[in-house]
Amino acid sequence: MYGYVRPVKGELKVAEFERFQGVYCGLCHELARRYGFLSRFLVNYDFTFLAMLLAEDEPADLCPRRCPAHPFRKRACLESCRSLTLAADMTVVLGWWKLADGARDGQFPASLGCRLACLALKRAYGKAAARRPDFAATVRNDLAALQTLERDKCPSLDAAADKFASILRSISGCVADPVRQRAAGELLYALGRIIYILDAADDLAEDIEKDRYNPLRYRFRPVDGKLAPEDEKLLRTSLQHSHNALVSAYALMGENAYTGILSNTIYLGLPAATQAVFAGTWNASAKIHRKRSNL
Amino acid sequence: MNDPYSVLGVSPSASDEEVKKAYRDLARKYHPDNYHDNPLADLASEKMKEINEAYDTITKSREQGGASSYSYGGSAYQSAGQSRGASGSAQYVRIRNLINANDLAQAEAMLNAISNHDAEWYYLMGSVYWRRGWMDQAGQYYRTAATMDPGNPEYRNAVQYMNQGGQAYRPAGGMGMDMMGGDAACNMCQNLICADCCCEAMGGNLIPCIGCR
Repeated sequence: MYGYVRPVKGELKVAEFERFQGVYCGLCHELARRYGFLSRFLVNYDFTFLAMLLAEDEPADLCPRRCPAHPFRKRACLESCRSLTLAADMTVVLGWWKLADGARDGQFPASLGCRLACLALKRAYGKAAARRPDFAATVRNDLAALQTLERDKCPSLDAAADKFASILRSISGCVADPVRQRAAGELLYALGRIIYILDAADDLAEDIEKDRYNPLRYRFRPVDGKLAPEDEKLLRTSLQHSHNALVSAYALMGENAYTGILSNTIYLGLPAATQAVFAGTWNASAKIHRKRSNL
Repeated sequence: MNDPYSVLGVSPSASDEEVKKAYRDLARKYHPDNYHDNPLADLASEKMKEINEAYDTITKSREQGGASSYSYGGSAYQSAGQSRGASGSAQYVRIRNLINANDLAQAEAMLNAISNHDAEWYYLMGSVYWRRGWMDQAGQYYRTAATMDPGNPEYRNAVQYMNQGGQAYRPAGGMGMDMMGGDAACNMCQNLICADCCCEAMGGNLIPCIGCR
């Protein structure tokens, strides 16, 4: 989806890295199993994180599997389980709406690609929306509200971020335990706000150039596609507060089989992604990361 | 009550030192300062209570006289509206109570019904946004409140807290990065010193109570 939510690989233990890769591959297999080959292309780090965050006392066994991306050597994959199923359903719903968004707002070659992908995934989306009707309704309504805000050139950063953050928060409804559910809701809201703002900061120069909506254009007054240093400080401080809220909520989630990877992602991965976005090196580093880890 | 050892995450055969260390780390994690005006503050304080009780039970049962006398408390902590110089009208007091009870929709509706926007109005609106996770908007309202009434310590503290980036638990050992491009461990010391100054201003002292533990 966005890819900002990922662990810092160098700080993972070897066993943790294998486990992380197992969840990523497991999610990809789960997508194929439930929604067909094409939906595999929607697999992403953010929902890999979600699958790990929402995992409860389910078995976390890995089994070797082959797949089109790795046809010669089998990879350890997490077996289908409740949290993978959940993550796969949500991936298809949100992924499809994001493509629909791209088809509507994008410029010519990209928008056509999104439209074709949308068509190809229509059946998969229908299935996923039927399985998670509440989530699909939330995504539809909140993205429509976001579209209205965008059209009105909403100057409130928080109001715009709120729509995306609310979508993520709604996922906490799947958590049974009431304490965990409240904590997950706050965690996911803060995470959604961080993702939305990082995405806005990352795209700022391009959005200005192509005259697209970006909340930072109207909240601050960027010059030459960049925020003034004092505005950037203000923005990053507000991200810090969201990160604090996320960390405080995470402390109340309790531990599970993925705690090491989740902690790495939260305490190190998110700050590192933020650092890279504001240094303007995110896109480059994301590419290197993909190549190196061969995920 | 749950088994005190499993609450602290140590085995019954753990040494006093290990128990103390586990207790300290958990107390640091769920410390009320990490849940400043946070909608989950009630859950954290329950957790804190559980940890304190577990630690007390263990130290008492091990009969290490005196060692049980310290535990992290939340007494120095006050949340948004309570007692912290609530000067305003009866209506503002009610709004503060709603905010503290996390009834943000009702608090916002009452604030929106007030047409005269004074400094306290901006401060309380900022508190509503803050708890909702609208950190940017909250900062703007806090700053407006502090500009309108520069002498008010409550508004000034809110702006200061906003600007210095707040505080949250970070595990010990190499996980000290923050979103502002600095080192969180460094900020933590700063926050501690800041909090100590605040405490001292109110007649308490924070750093020695942690230092001796």
